[in-house]
Amino acid sequence: MPPSEPRTPIASLNLEEQRVLAEALFTSIGDGAIATDEFGKITRINPTALQLLGYNEREMIGAWFPKKIVSVHENNQAVSLIDRPITRAFLTGKTIAEKAYYRRKNGQTMPVSITVSPIMLQGKPVGAIEVFRDITIEYEIDRMKSDFISLASHQLRTPLSSIKTYSHMLMDGYMGEVTPAQRKSLRTIVGAANRMNELISTLLNITRIESGNVTVTRKAVNVARLAEEVIKEHSLAASDKEISVELKTGSKPLPSVPTDPLLFKEVLNNLVSNGIKYTPQNGSVTLTIQNRRYDMQFTVTDSGMGIPKYSQEQIFTKFFRAHNVVKQETSGTGLGLYLVKGLVDALEGKIWFESTEGKGTSFFVTLPKNIESQQQTAQEED
Amino acid sequence: MANILVVEDDKDLNNAYKIILESENHTVVSAFNGKEALKALGEFTPDLILLDLLMPIMGGLEFLQHYDLINKHPNVKVLIFTNMENSPEVTEAYNLGADRCIIKSWTAPQNLARVITDTLENRTVSAKS
Repeated sequence: MPPSEPRTPIASLNLEEQRVLAEALFTSIGDGAIATDEFGKITRINPTALQLLGYNEREMIGAWFPKKIVSVHENNQAVSLIDRPITRAFLTGKTIAEKAYYRRKNGQTMPVSITVSPIMLQGKPVGAIEVFRDITIEYEIDRMKSDFISLASHQLRTPLSSIKTYSHMLMDGYMGEVTPAQRKSLRTIVGAANRMNELISTLLNITRIESGNVTVTRKAVNVARLAEEVIKEHSLAASDKEISVELKTGSKPLPSVPTDPLLFKEVLNNLVSNGIKYTPQNGSVTLTIQNRRYDMQFTVTDSGMGIPKYSQEQIFTKFFRAHNVVKQETSGTGLGLYLVKGLVDALEGKIWFESTEGKGTSFFVTLPKNIESQQQTAQEED
Repeated sequence: MANILVVEDDKDLNNAYKIILESENHTVVSAFNGKEALKALGEFTPDLILLDLLMPIMGGLEFLQHYDLINKHPNVKVLIFTNMENSPEVTEAYNLGADRCIIKSWTAPQNLARVITDTLENRTVSAKS
């Protein structure tokens, strides 16, 4: 239509013209679009949806949406009706957006990003409209990114392993006696290698969390023993600063918790390490475990510098470092608590803190004692 | 003392592990990839295999599939020694029967020796140093 010519207002079109216009709008949507009635029967489907799913229009119109368009999990098992976004949209009256896999007519599956909205008329759902798009390329890029990170971290760590192993061997006398001055230099090399290693670990874990590729392998974990290991591993750093580090587990034995021991250890390691790092000489760091009704609570309390009130909202954000910390301790990256939050989320736990500047901070982490949504291995982490 | 097969493609590290383990009076045979390891197993019966995952020619996972640890060699302990932390490959190694996984760049020599002794005795300790 030339720009000088005024557009015809939609309201002035007759019913047939409005229907044709609505049809044209629907068929022109670049993503797959499917409309259903209030019973979930397909009333309209656009050419993009037909092309993506591999059906023709005759096969789709009138078919029951959840049966005709099969949604599967990554392991190819069908998603239950109650979990389908379209069901949830009908039940809640809300727009549901999520990622899933659709099975094409030829049996192949494709990852899709779905948005389903209920069509409401006078407060009642009279149908639903779903828009979806093929995200195979995005998945492929994510996979390549994840592969690259794994490989890069492996390649960065291999020379680091040699540096550390041979420095330790020299220090431990495998190649003959070393002088105190040589030993001190070797300790510096090992310390630097450890810091580099921590940085690679942190970056690797953050990338995994951000791309949704963190692998959670749950076992029944003896959390008291795991906490004890964490405390032991930090005892040297604590004694260097004359900080007392203590584990409190109460008088009753603690039950095991279904969690990923490596990931959860990373959480406790970061919190205890932060506690020691930001607590002045002669202070204290305490890790307390409490067995509560539905969860296990871990509290890391330090008598350190605390988090200023104005910084507290940002404490779990990436690269954030509070001003009082930057002034006194320069070696941090601002990634530790961001990683901890991501790990706790991946483990389906909760994290929060209480802090008073100049007095200290307590970080609280809870882990659920029952994980129904996840597969568990019954294997005991001994 | 134990018979240990070290499977590690990095020559420096392979050599270091040999020195460390022999100083603990273990008998050590070295291989530099999975294929060499399978060949070595024709003449050497290990109590424990120290196995890297990412290696040329044949990696650790492929080696475990060929070796059929779970069905054919249930008494041999396999200690995965890798830098691929929290990765799906490590999970797969456990599924193929590996006993433990430790991260190379976190593990000091004296701790490696200790972890090996404890794995042979079915105990769990921290390897981090």
